Parts: sequence; C-alpha cells; structure tokens
Amino acid sequence: MALLSVQNLVTEFHGPGGTARAVDGVSFDVNAGEIFGIVGESGCGKSATCRSIVRLFGGADARIAGGSVRLDGSGDLATLPERELARIRGRDVAFIFQDPLTALNPTMRIGRQIAEVVERHRRVSRREARAIALQLLRDVHVTSPERRLDAWPHELSGGLRQRVVIAMALALRPRLIIADEPTTALDVTVQDQILRLLLERCAATGTAIILVTHDLGVVAEICDRVAVMYGGRFVETGSTATVLASPRHPYTRALLSALPSRAMRGKPLAPIEGTPPSLTAPPPGCRFAPRCPQAAEVCRAGPPPPLMLHDRAAPLHADACLLEGVR
Amino acid sequence: MTLLEFRDVSRHFPARRSLADAVLRRPPAVLRAVHHVDLSVDRGETLGIVGESGCGKSTLARLAVGLQAADEGAVLFDGTPMQGPDPAGRIQMVFQDPYSSLNPRMTIGALLEEVVAHYHRDLSAAERRAEAGEALRRVGLPAETADKYPHALSGGQRQRVSIARALCPRPQILVADEPVSALDASVQAQIINLLQRLSADTGITILFISHDMQVIRHLCDRVAVMYLGEVVELAPVDRLFDQPQHPYTAGLMEAVPDIARRRGEPRVALGGEMPDPYAVIDGCRFASRCRFAEPRCETPQLLTDAAGGGLVRCWKAPPLAAASIQTSSRSDLT
Repeated sequence: MALLSVQNLVTEFHGPGGTARAVDGVSFDVNAGEIFGIVGESGCGKSATCRSIVRLFGGADARIAGGSVRLDGSGDLATLPERELARIRGRDVAFIFQDPLTALNPTMRIGRQIAEVVERHRRVSRREARAIALQLLRDVHVTSPERRLDAWPHELSGGLRQRVVIAMALALRPRLIIADEPTTALDVTVQDQILRLLLERCAATGTAIILVTHDLGVVAEICDRVAVMYGGRFVETGSTATVLASPRHPYTRALLSALPSRAMRGKPLAPIEGTPPSLTAPPPGCRFAPRCPQAAEVCRAGPPPPLMLHDRAAPLHADACLLEGVR
Repeated sequence: MTLLEFRDVSRHFPARRSLADAVLRRPPAVLRAVHHVDLSVDRGETLGIVGESGCGKSTLARLAVGLQAADEGAVLFDGTPMQGPDPAGRIQMVFQDPYSSLNPRMTIGALLEEVVAHYHRDLSAAERRAEAGEALRRVGLPAETADKYPHALSGGQRQRVSIARALCPRPQILVADEPVSALDASVQAQIINLLQRLSADTGITILFISHDMQVIRHLCDRVAVMYLGEVVELAPVDRLFDQPQHPYTAGLMEAVPDIARRRGEPRVALGGEMPDPYAVIDGCRFASRCRFAEPRCETPQLLTDAAGGGLVRCWKAPPLAAASIQTSSRSDLT
C-alpha cells in the first residue's frame, strides 16, 4: 500500500481577483522510500499541491475544496482537525522550504532550534535533545558540528543553513519529507551537495520525498518518478527516465525543447508561445490547448482530460493528452 | 578587434570598520570583489562570464558600464579609458529583474522615449517616438506595447522591454547581468533567441553574465570562468566545455543538473563552499576546495596559455586535463 495517496485534490485560493483553483483534481501515490518529483513553471500549482497535503497555506485564504489526502495509518489529512494535523506535521510529514533563512528563527542558536523540534514531539531532556541535534548535524555532514550547535543562522552560508533545515526535517524520522524548491536559492555546486545529501538520507532512513522543482535537470538527478504539472493539473506522470526520454504530452515535450542543451547549440530554442492559463477562469478543455501546436477541436471543449495510460508496456506512464491515443 | 578591455582591473570593497579593528588600529577587512582582471571583449562576439554568487561577475558588469569605478587598472572602450557611464550610451546594461527595473508609473513608450531623449536631445517628439517604436520592433514586441504599463506585461515581455530600453541609444555593447535567471524555461528560451538574433543581425557585442552553464554554452562564443574575484579560465566555448582545464571549471560542470544523466549517477562532486571572501589568499583561491591541491598552490597563480586554446590559472592544468578525464568517469568520489 502507498504511504501517501492523494485523490482528486482540489484546492482553492480566494483573492480580490476571484477564486483561483490552484490545484484542480490532482491524484497521485507516493510509496515508502520513494522520491517523487512535481515539476512545472511558476503558477502551475506545484507548491499549492504540496502545501495542501499538510494544509500549510502560510496565511493565504485557501481551502481544500475536494478530494482526499490519505497518509498510511493517519486517515484523511484533508478533513483532519487542525489540532491533530499539527501533530502529524513534523512527526510524520516534514517540510523543507526554498529559503532556509526564513525557515530558521534568527534569534535562536542552531542547536536549540533543532533540539526544540525534538522536544516538541518526544519526551527527552534538554541534554538528550542537544545530543540528538549534534548527531543530526553529523548526519547532514555539517563540518565541526559541535561548534555549529552554538552558531546563529546568520553566521552560516546558504548551503549550511539548508543542511540545518534538512537536519530539522529529519529530526523526528518522518515518513515523508515535502521539499519545495529546496535548492533553487543555492549555487550549483552547493545544490549538487544538497541533492546528494537528500538522496543519501532518504536511502538511509527510508523516508519518502516529494520534491517540487522547476528544474528538469534536478528531477533527472534524484527522482524515481515525476509528475509534470500545468494549469493546476498533472499532464504527465511516469518514471523519471521514461518521461524525460520519451515524453508524450505536448507540454512536456515543449518544455524539454525550450531548454538549452548540447543538441540545440547554435540553433534557436523553441519557446512556448502564449501565456499560462488563468487559474480563476481556466480555458475549457485541455488547459494547454490554447498554446498547443497540435490542438484539435476536441481539445478545446468539455472537461479537461484526465491522466490516461496509453501503453500497456509502460503501466506507470500516463498522460492527459486526448490526441495521444489517436496518433 | 578589441572593443572593450579590462586592463588589470580591481574593485575592492572595505568592510565596515569593526570595534576590534578600531581598538587594534588596523584597517578594516577588504573584499576583493574583482581582483586584477585582464579581459578583452572582441567586437561582435558574445562573451560569457560564469561563476557562482560572490565570484565578482556582477561587479565586473557594473565596472563595464561605469556604474562602479575601478580602484586599480582601467576599463577601455575602443582603446580609450572610460570615466563613469559613457555619455553617448555606447555601452548599455540589461538587468536581471524586469519587475524592479521598470518604472511602474510610466508607459513603456514614455519610458523608452525618455532614454532616447537623454542621449539624443536634438530629436523632435515624433522622432523620439519613432526611435522608441523601432526599439520595440527590434525586440519583437508589437507597437501597441508603447501604450501599456509594466504591470500589464508578462515577465518575458518585460524583459524584452528592458532590452529595448538598452537598445534605444543604439549601443555597441550590451552588458546583460543574469537576464534570464528570473524567467521560466519557456520564456527564457524567447529571450535567449532574441539575444542570439540581435547578435547575428546587428553584430552587437554582448557581455553575458550568468550562473547557468547551459545558457552560457548555448549563447556564447567565449567564456570566462570567475572564482572569488579572479578569472580562473578563459576559452572558446567548445574548448571550455569539452576540455575544462581548471579544476573549478570541471567541478562546476559536473555539478550542473542534466536531464541526460541517470538518477544518482556517480561523479566527481565539488566539496565545500566558497571560502570567506574577506580572507586574503595570495595563492590559488580555489585550493581550499581542490582535490589536486599541493603546497605549490599557495604561491600566486598566473593565467597562462592553456592546451587547446584560451587561458587557465592553474600550474597543473595541462597534465590535469588528461587525469580528470580518466577519473571523472569512475571511482574517486568525494
């Protein structure tokens, strides 16, 4: 059985411009120990999807308008009372945000912050909690961890801060870590170190990860499976190798050919014309149809097409293109 | 041939004087943002400057357009030393963030005409409008864009406007500081294509600053790699990417996430992070992270001719190139 099972999730954000369906009928499973990537461009709903899992909307006027989020053994997180959900956050499901500086309390030393997470959920003395914090810093390969325990967040580099945030996320041995663009603010050589660290810790502890990113390269490096998101919906899912090597949905293909690569050197890239769909008044039919070079009449009417399997030989590879079966 | 030249240029920023400095009567620490850089940009080429945060690439861009003055050395345009921004607007800058670099209260047309008026005071209002319209046309925006405000435009359109604004004085050099970093992949491709087309059609010289190796590789003719204020390698783009000779260049390339790579594929990763930029290091500034470092690296390293073309600042470079090709394929992981 899957560790996390999200079914038909719908999340709405209320604002002055109306109600935006940032997540519009998203379903997926994440297995224990798996790294599942959600990739897409700004505003596609990837962050909203992972925030919906633990209802962390950061003050935005948002609510889950439909669907379920089942975490193995914990019932439906979508309808769980806030008090019970608070116990699950951190203990079963931990979160890593893009900017480690805002995720850390600037007025608290590193060691104390990590220890506090441990103390909140487990019966340990302050001294024990500090010892656990030290071990966690070692686990995330912070150099001279004893000295870092007493450091302030502002004294650390971006890479070290993100290691501390990862240590805090791992503190309670959660079953699932949700990492929202965890390396976007970091330099490439540090990003590389952090991605390797996530892979290593995930393998060592059996923790599953949902990794949200805009970078297909990052997905290729560490994800087992990936979902490509567009206009609040998943348009393609499958094993990372399959989706990147033989993408089926026109959006996935367009995204891949917009990227500079060795093969494209000296040639013009293929940008995607047009703009992403409005989430307050989405176009009828396939969300990508207005920008899709292949779109036909059927694509522009009716409800948006669901993910469908088109190849018996690849039972994990699904896409939401109506024309895929026709071709 | 050389249009813009950095001749032994340094730009150092002193830290705020701390209490300890005052007590000990010592001068405050100095950050060597750009340290003795020699670099020539040829007419018509696209020269890339690549490096991680704090390497000095943005300071170099500001020195090029005269927004910063060099502490030592000189920036020469067409052989003449520059003093501050060029009054004729022959060097123009495109900034990273198209949201904060456009005045939200001005229409695009007014914004562009203001730039035209600044450099060509003798033009009539109609001529100014025509020049602004021409700039919009060159970046592929419809003429109606002139009547719009920045907020009505998408990120990609705004970045086109930023480029149009830079083109208004009809410059010979565009200095683009991370012009696509804030953009989504699909939009980024439009701007990259636009810069490529401008370069091909008008022969404009571009100094392209980026941390993104893939974009640099796609767009540039030659590339300078910077680390802690110094150029560590300079080479034609294919030589640089096919046979990186400085260990930092090689490590930087290894670190770039690549869709062609398999999950968890082993490779030679760069450990550590950039050291304290205030620390005074006379030898190789990369030595603290370099797995090939030896005592000899503590002596100052010079940029010397590299095998296969270009320059490299590492005394071990030529034999190292052969060694790294063998080890990067397997084993020897950090």
